[in-house]
Amino acid sequence: MSFLDDGWSTGHGGGGPTRNRPHGNLAALRVAVVVMFAILIAQLFRMQIIQGDEYARRSRENHITQQIKLAPRGLITDRNGEPLVENVPVYTAIILPELLPETRDERYKIYLRLEQLIGVPALEIDSMVKTQEIDGRGYINVPVRKYLTQNQALRLEEASADLKGVRLDVSPGRRYPAGNEFSAMLGFIGPQTKEEHAQLTSKGYQLNEPVGKAGIESYYETDLRGAPGATAAEQDAQGRLVQALKSKDPVPGNGVQLAIDSGLQRFVTELLYDHMAGDRVNGDASVAAAVVMNAKTGEIYSLVSIPDYDNNVFVEPEKRAAEINALNHDEAQKPLLNKALNPAAPGSTFKLITASAGLETGRVTPATSRFIPKVLEVKGENGVLYPLIDWKAHGNINFTQAIAWSSNIYMFMISCGILGESRGLGKDDETSAVVLGYYARQFGLGRLTGIDVGGEAPGIIPDPAWKKRVHAGEGRDSTDWHYADTCFMGIGQGDVTATPLQIARMTAAVANGGKLLTPHVAKAIVGADGQVVRTIEPDWTQVAVSDRNLAEVRKGMHESVIGGAGARAYQPGLDIAGKTGTAEFNLPDGTLAQHAWFTGYAPFDDPEVVVTVYFDRGIGGDKAAPLGGQILSYFFAEVKKP
Amino acid sequence: MSTLAYGGRRGGSPFRGWDRFDYLLVLPAVLLVVYGLLLIYSGSAQSYHGPFASFNNPVGKQIVFAVAGFTTMLVFSKLDYHFLTHYSWALYILSILSLLALLFLGHSAYGSTRWFNIGPIQLQPSEFAKLATILLLARFFSEHGGDAREVKAMVISLIIVLPAALLVFIQPDLGTTVTFFGIWLGVVLVAGVSRRHLIVLASIGLAVLPFVWTFAVADYQIKRIDVLVRPEQDPLDAGYNVIQSQIAVGSGQVFGKGFTNGEQTQLAYLKVPTKDFIFSVLGEEFGFTGAMLLLALFIFLLMRGIRAAQIAGDTAGQLVAVGIVVLILMQTFINVAVNVSLFPVTGIPLPFVSQGGSSLVSVFMSLGILQSIIMRHRAYRQA
Repeated sequence: MSFLDDGWSTGHGGGGPTRNRPHGNLAALRVAVVVMFAILIAQLFRMQIIQGDEYARRSRENHITQQIKLAPRGLITDRNGEPLVENVPVYTAIILPELLPETRDERYKIYLRLEQLIGVPALEIDSMVKTQEIDGRGYINVPVRKYLTQNQALRLEEASADLKGVRLDVSPGRRYPAGNEFSAMLGFIGPQTKEEHAQLTSKGYQLNEPVGKAGIESYYETDLRGAPGATAAEQDAQGRLVQALKSKDPVPGNGVQLAIDSGLQRFVTELLYDHMAGDRVNGDASVAAAVVMNAKTGEIYSLVSIPDYDNNVFVEPEKRAAEINALNHDEAQKPLLNKALNPAAPGSTFKLITASAGLETGRVTPATSRFIPKVLEVKGENGVLYPLIDWKAHGNINFTQAIAWSSNIYMFMISCGILGESRGLGKDDETSAVVLGYYARQFGLGRLTGIDVGGEAPGIIPDPAWKKRVHAGEGRDSTDWHYADTCFMGIGQGDVTATPLQIARMTAAVANGGKLLTPHVAKAIVGADGQVVRTIEPDWTQVAVSDRNLAEVRKGMHESVIGGAGARAYQPGLDIAGKTGTAEFNLPDGTLAQHAWFTGYAPFDDPEVVVTVYFDRGIGGDKAAPLGGQILSYFFAEVKKP
Repeated sequence: MSTLAYGGRRGGSPFRGWDRFDYLLVLPAVLLVVYGLLLIYSGSAQSYHGPFASFNNPVGKQIVFAVAGFTTMLVFSKLDYHFLTHYSWALYILSILSLLALLFLGHSAYGSTRWFNIGPIQLQPSEFAKLATILLLARFFSEHGGDAREVKAMVISLIIVLPAALLVFIQPDLGTTVTFFGIWLGVVLVAGVSRRHLIVLASIGLAVLPFVWTFAVADYQIKRIDVLVRPEQDPLDAGYNVIQSQIAVGSGQVFGKGFTNGEQTQLAYLKVPTKDFIFSVLGEEFGFTGAMLLLALFIFLLMRGIRAAQIAGDTAGQLVAVGIVVLILMQTFINVAVNVSLFPVTGIPLPFVSQGGSSLVSVFMSLGILQSIIMRHRAYRQA
């Protein structure tokens, strides 16, 4: 027996007391193998079979990146195809902090180069980047400067290849070259606000995608936007593109062809601006508006709001903040309110409604005539004397003459009645107001017209309940509906307000036999290939006044221009019908002032076009009526060429 | 008489004993290596573009190591394992020394120091320390009647494991540390440790755990355990590997995406796809089916290993076989568990499959020792 043998077979050769037979129980080991592998198999089953679809989806998302390409936004033209907007690229210098070099020195080199290229101080860039990084948002782009000039953009594009983490971003922008005349109706586009973003994301909007903010840009957003395209690419863990998978080209947005005639729009704007200044009888106007509308379809040929402004300032909000601020805080003129869509007391133009209601309810007939003095004193309850005042002594006049000469007392007779002589439209003052309010709403007052330009206000058609509500808590004298309330309502004063557009629409309804049209600025949606996608069809509701009665009202309007209060609207060669309005109101200092209105249409026998002119100061027949005539004249000469 | 039974064979033909060589133990191992070569090929396809026959080619290199490992296995089959248990103290001390040396001279990778760089070869001493520990444990118990029933024997056996386990722990290598304790537990269980003693020991261990957690566990380990539970908390840093391996394995679904077709693997979302995360490559490209095949091969291999322990001629042989089975079981379990997010990320290779020479050679060496035990079992049965 060698030593080695002995050593190798430890304990064996000695034959000592130690037991050297294997005795272990190996079942436990087998169980351990089975159990441990069972655990692994269970987990594999869970991951690969049960959750396999979910992981497969995550695997795809892991390595497939999408790059969104925004669609070119649809263009907006006038009815003759004149472009009113332009698409322009907005160049922005962008830094992605994540991709910047680590060291301070290298970063500063980049910042200094950027300072040279785009003029933003390196220190400012540094603090922008730092702020973002401290917020833990180093993976989000920092826009260093927006609205780079084309020259700056080109130079940055060239240089950015050597500037790690710096990129030139090009996003779609707009310019409005047609002039301030179009600002209010076109609106503008701008970056999404936080609130908008939450809503738009669900519609597939990208964060950097601009959105229409007002006017046509906002109303026809879905048409103008188009559909963004995308390229999908496979990328590896380092973010290198491995292969392009597929791409979907963006679908350009559809264009909007407006019914607006830009020549007319410019002509009307200039005309109104030329007549803002007051004279012997008219005060200085600071606000004016005009509407020119097709009497049968509701197409708007011209929609003017004065003062106007340049909507290009909103396209570059960061750059032109001061101008935007000035526009926002001009409390005197509120240029951002579209004056054609915001209400004022309509004055005597409202008499068209009162007159229609009088005939329709049978309160008067075309033959009803009365002697109208300048002042008629009536005795109210408790023997109080009310002076009913007209703007002149009309003498004995009938229905037609009452409209033509815009008699107040004749309209009082219809709306509130003459105390001690006749009742108004209803059995008492309150009912009369409610009946008159019903007809006013029939003609579209007191509610939105539904025009395809935002920023519209409904105006007010008061009634007893309304008065109680708004004057609640001010004592019975303020909340009670009085005889005078119904009277003033009948001549478009007191609490009644209406927008120039509502007046134009009401005029069209009178002219066309009772069709209350939905006005629209857009005429058609046109595809990028020039094909019409859809046309905006006329839409109307029927006013509850018979055409026979409306014909009597039209006759009054015709007489007005031929030889009544609206005579200054006369244009040779045109058969115009119209109605003036001069709404009196008290200025804050107590002095009396007037709004000037004219609303009319032509030709009288086959109404084609309605025009409504409004100045915040002036006498209707003196200031507004002549312009109404001139606008109609221009329309038939230039827009509706034979 | 016993001398005659054993010594008589010593003088015989060099082919004696080979008739008892367990081919069924080697077969799954060879299949696993081939499986591994496929996966290494796929996992390195995006990073290696050179010629096939090159030592820089991970596949070529692995083939070389596989041949070396296979040869090693044959040599160790022929070698009487008693020779190894005899010198187990020396082997053990040698591996402790090399682990110590590693602390000062080793090569760091992925935040851990586990290798010596010897030319183009990386030597990982812990692979051999595990075998040395198994051999020493087996010798210790065989000298004490193959019995762990006494507290003293159990405590001494634990003291044998502790230095190696600690040195590995501070590398840091949590997976191998756990493997050491697994081996110890397997061996003492088979050696008949009293359950009562184990329970007391486990209680002490639980009591000490909070202190270990506070003072001894590295921050990175806590982070890895944390990201295992909530990988989304830190998707680009510590949670990255966890998330990417989950996506790879899960997206393989039933049949996988096909050989070299896994995006997670081929687009480099998986880190170390030929080593620690090779199972994720398998899960992605061959799916649940492929994973079942791999696990079946392992189960077969381990059951064959347990058979070796069953028929071992003596306690030493049985305990060595048990240690080796537990070693392969623990490494396989931990590696796959990491890949399926059941265990914090730790650098344990998948035996036979993962790219790596030390692992492959040492695991074949273990198989050789198992063969040596199988080939010699009758020597004792007949005695």
